[in-house]
This record gives sequence, structure tokens and C-alpha cells, in this order.
Amino acid sequence: MMRRRTLFGASAGMLAVPSLARAQGGQLQVAGVYSLSGTFANVGDLLNKGTQWAFEHYGNAAGQRINYTLLDDQGDPGRAVRRVQEAMGQGVKHIVGCTTSAIALAVAKEVHARGGVYIHMAGADEATGSECNRASFRWPGASFTAINATVRPFIERNANAKRWYTITGQYVFGESLLTNLKSVLQDAGHQHIGNSYHSLSEREYSGYITAAISARPDVLAICNFGNQTLDVLRQAVSFGMKRNVKIVVPWSTGLDQFQAWGPDICEGVYFGVNYWHGVEAPGNRVVQQVVRQKTNGTTNYLQACGWAVAQMLVEGANKAGSTEIPALIRALEGLSYEGPTGTELIRAEDHQVIKDYYLMLGKARSAMRDPADFAEVVAGTKAFQPPERTGCRMT
Amino acid sequence: MSAFREGGRFPDASTVGIAATLVALPFVLPSVTLASEVLVFSVAALSCAFLLGMVGLLSFGQGLFFGIGAYVSAVLLKDHGLATLPAVAIAAGASAIGAGLIALLAVRRHGVYFVMLTLAFAQMGYFAMLALNHVTGGENGLTGVPRPPLLAGMGALSGSEAIYAFLAVLAFAAYLLVQRVGASPFGSVLRAIRQNEPRAEALGYDVRRFKVAAFALAGLLAGLAGAMHTVFLGFAPPNVIELEMSERLLIMAIIGGAGAPGAAFVGAGFYVVMADWLSTLWPRWLMLIGFLLIAIVLFLRDGLWGGAAAALHRLRGRGHG
Repeated sequence: MMRRRTLFGASAGMLAVPSLARAQGGQLQVAGVYSLSGTFANVGDLLNKGTQWAFEHYGNAAGQRINYTLLDDQGDPGRAVRRVQEAMGQGVKHIVGCTTSAIALAVAKEVHARGGVYIHMAGADEATGSECNRASFRWPGASFTAINATVRPFIERNANAKRWYTITGQYVFGESLLTNLKSVLQDAGHQHIGNSYHSLSEREYSGYITAAISARPDVLAICNFGNQTLDVLRQAVSFGMKRNVKIVVPWSTGLDQFQAWGPDICEGVYFGVNYWHGVEAPGNRVVQQVVRQKTNGTTNYLQACGWAVAQMLVEGANKAGSTEIPALIRALEGLSYEGPTGTELIRAEDHQVIKDYYLMLGKARSAMRDPADFAEVVAGTKAFQPPERTGCRMT
Repeated sequence: MSAFREGGRFPDASTVGIAATLVALPFVLPSVTLASEVLVFSVAALSCAFLLGMVGLLSFGQGLFFGIGAYVSAVLLKDHGLATLPAVAIAAGASAIGAGLIALLAVRRHGVYFVMLTLAFAQMGYFAMLALNHVTGGENGLTGVPRPPLLAGMGALSGSEAIYAFLAVLAFAAYLLVQRVGASPFGSVLRAIRQNEPRAEALGYDVRRFKVAAFALAGLLAGLAGAMHTVFLGFAPPNVIELEMSERLLIMAIIGGAGAPGAAFVGAGFYVVMADWLSTLWPRWLMLIGFLLIAIVLFLRDGLWGGAAAALHRLRGRGHG
């Protein structure tokens, strides 16, 4: 009976005690918004680990001990906003992370309205475009960067591959990749000979692939991300497209996707990635070292992304010498630091981090030097929209 | 106790109980925002419970009407500068009209075919949201929805406590509406349809028309909940209109038990609070909710509310004995 009472007491206590401790003197309370349960749990877990390891590594920001708390949004943007409202109501002003763009855009508004700062990794162009605000900063490059940093260098190396066919996921991000791709092809005088749209719920793409083959393109570009990209490329390769068509995947998460495909599929395929563990840079060496200590493995994009947003917060606070929001925002604007992709710069006009985006070429199994050496870096490019064309009106 | 299945008085002891719960909730739960979330989903689950408990209609489409309410209110508040109360009222009305139109088709079929039709409409709603991304914001949702005064000339709706108070008034109004309908002649006919549809028809009732009216009322409740969700968050996220939302609302209604309006409040409260707590313990917490649902369906067919009522009844019996 006593044990039952104790258990009940403990459970009731957990329900009654707020999930976040109130800010304590000399401590910097930081909250990470990630999906540790629900549909995106596998993504959120890796992102969160990257952030957590970075804060553990740095320990302090502007002389204050960092106290990191996770807010599990369960993959639900509404719940993310509610948890942020709750955390900020308890005095937390420094928020990092997101698992989807919908979550980031909503949290960005909330944090801005409540006088905090938010550093995230959303893919939506709007994050540093029409929906930008003074409180929000974004680390990775988005669709404009992905296309310009992959398709332009690809064209320089494959000038004769002029006829392009695209298979596109029919939703905002897929459309955005396609629009940017068409614009680059037009600039280069190359032809876009056709496109097949597929819905977000599809898993079988043979109809689209045979349509692409019958159009006789020189290049097939896959405008999508995530598991659908995995399936489209797998099926295109199994249909023998690699034999006489070059394949470009402008948006890939890199290592984890390469591991899922394996070298037989990756060989000879071009990929665009925001991060690659093999890049020689002081900032990357630090990330690599910490991740190796923690996992005995190689850093992937998600871990690096989680790391990067935490590092930006620490670098900004150290430069400002303060964690006060106005000073921190001023310090972050124009800040240059050694990040996971080399020297990175936070552009003041739209709060986008200007960093390399890589065009990779898949290696043959026999050419791999280690189990993670799936691809070589063909080009690293800082390709970002000029600030006046992003649509950002800083508020 | 005001029950869907047997009818009841209006108001009764449960009315007072719900009012007291609404007042106590923000003080009992860890945060006011969590209490607000409970209210939103209570009204949404009420929509499912009303259809299931009163008319015997299992709808997988309530997420669609929740989504319509959320998006219509967001657009009215953001792009048309309406005050909060008219925006919420119009959004709920739009959902009721949408539900009524869908019901004109859906109620022509019974059983699993009705369920499949509501499922199909819910899926169409999601893809319509994606197709109308210039209005709905597509996968990004509609962000930056303001919280203007309740009515023109009043003070702005700001602060978690003020928002909770507003939502509590709406939730209580929804509860009273459903309870009143349950105690009315209209409610009696709906119960008759659930118990024996051919007999109700033989008695001269236009069964189809009554079902359409009930479905529209359930749509109004779901739409009201959607609009409350938008006001609460200042945001209409894309998942408000996903099929998963319909499933979630149905699960809440089944956990609470579809026997009484109060059961929806219990089911939603239990689900939201448990989700908040369990997710901190185990990432695969939805599995636990699955086990719970199985246990309730097998051993507690009237849900938590029904189980509690039965336990209370037994205790009273013992007391008298």
C-alpha cells in the first residue's frame, strides 16, 4: 500500500511540477524544440543530440553556465508553439531547433512576439524571406542555395548534358526546388524537357520513371527530400537510368541517406548536401571529435545541424559578452565564426548563415577509403539569394 | 447525469461539475497553456462523442471540420481584420455548413460505407489545403494570426490567463448546447434513430434530415474547436486538417466514452495530459495510448466516464445495502 501511495505521489508530482525549472542566477536557460516522439522522432533525436553535445562541449556562454532543456513537440506544430509559450512564460528566452519548417515558422513568430531569440534549421525559403524577423536565425541553405550550388557546378562539368527531366514532390519545397532549377537552366541555355509530379503519399514511382526514360533526357533531377527521394533514386537506378542518364539529387541529407542507398546506388550520382563530414575545417574537426567520442561513429547532417544552431548561440553570446536578447541579436548579425562547414557568416539583412553547400559525386565501392566515404566533394559554393531578393522585411 | 443514450435533464449535476472543472483546471494542471489545450480538444472530442453517442454515427471526418474552423478563423483574423468573437462564430458556422453539405451525401450510406465516405472527405480536405497553399500556407501553415479584441472597441485578448478564460466560456457554451440538445425532442428523435432507424422512419420522421442536422451540429462543434485552437496558438498548423487529427479526436471520444457530453471532456483531458507526460518518459508513448485504447474497448466499453459512473453506482449500492 505504501509503495502504491509513493508511486502515485511521484506521478502526481511529475504532473504538477512545471517541466522547466525557472531561470536561475548565473545560468543561461536554453530550450531546444525537437520531435522526440511521433512521426519525426528519428530526425528529432539526432538533431537534439547534436545540440545537446554542443552545449555540453561549450559549457558556458558569455560566462553563464548553459542549462539545456528539451521541449518535445511530438511532431505537432501546435504543440511546439504551446510548449514554447509555456517555456517562455517561465522565463526562457533562448530557443533553438526545429524538426519541420512548419514548426520553425510558427515558433519563430512566437519567440519574436515574446522577446526571445530563436536559431533553427528550417528548410522553407520563407524563414529568411517573407517570414523573417529580428529574433530568428537560420543555419542551413534552403532551396535556392541547393539548386544554385549543385546545378551550376554540375553544368560547368557536364556542358553537353543539356536536356533535363525532373521528378518533383508536389508540395511547397518540391515546387520551390523546381522553380529555382528551371531558372538556372534558362540562364545556362539548357532545356527542361519535362516534369512528373507525384504526391506526398506515393511510394511507387515506376510510371514517372518510365515517362522520364521515354523523354530521353541527359539529366534526371529529383526535386524532393526525405524517404521519397530515397525511393525515387532506388527505383530510377533499378530501371537502369544510370547507364545513359546523369542523375542529380539537389537536396540530400548526405551520410545517412548514402548509408541507406549503399555505394552501388550512389556511384556516379550527383548529390547536394548542406554538410559533409570529410570537409577539412577547424570547426568540423571539433564536431567530428565530439561526435566520435559520443557515438564512435561519423557525424551526419542532422547531428551537425543540431550542433550548428547551438554553436551560433554560444558564439553570439560570447561576442556580445552578454545573453541579453538585444545585445545577442546585435552580436549575431554579421558574426563570422568557424562552423561545421568552415568559416560561416551570419548575414545581417536576413539572418541567413552564409556557408558552403556541397555538390558531391557518389564513389564506386572499390574507391571508398572507409565505410563512410561514399562520395567526393566536387564543389563547395556559397550560393545565396542577394538580400534584396529574399523578400525579407526585417521586423 | 446527463447521458446521450438515455436522455437527461438540462441543466443537471454534471453541468455544475463541468463548470467547476473549467474553473479549477488551470490551477490543477502544470500550466495554463496545457489547460487551454485540454479545452480545445474537449470541444473537438465532444463533436465525435455527440455523433457516436447520440446518433450512432462513427465519423472519421471531424478533423476536416476542425481544420475548416482553424483555417477560416485564421484567414478572417489575419487578412480581414475581424474581431475574435465574430471570426470564431463565422468559422464555426462555415464548418457547420461544410458538414451539412458533406452529410447530404454521406448519410445516404450506412455502417462501414458511411465511415469510408467521411474518411474520403477528410483526405480530400487535406489535399485541398495543400492545393490552396496561397490561402492556407500549405505545409507551413498560417502563421502570425493576431489576437484582436473579442469585439470591436474592447481590449486586446492578451495573456495566457485571458485566453484560457475566453476558451473556457466557449467550451462551457458548447457543453450547454450539446446537453440542451440531448434533453430536447430533437435529441429524443436522434436517440430513436440510433436505437432503431427503420422504426423511427416508420413513425414518420425524416431520418436523413435529422442525421444531416446532427452532422452539421457536430461540424459546428468541431469548427468551433478549430477556431479556438487558432485563437489559442495564434497559428493554424497544417496538421489540424490531417487525417491523424480525425483519428486523435475519435480516440479521445472513445477513451472518455461516448455516453455523455462530460465524457468527451474526460477523454480529451486524459489524452492531452497523458500525451504531455508520457512523451517525457518514452518516445514511443503512442504505443501506450494504443494499449490503453485496446483495454478500454475490451474492458471498459463506456470509457472512463462510464467506468467511473458504474463504480459510483456500485459504491452507492453498497452504501444503501
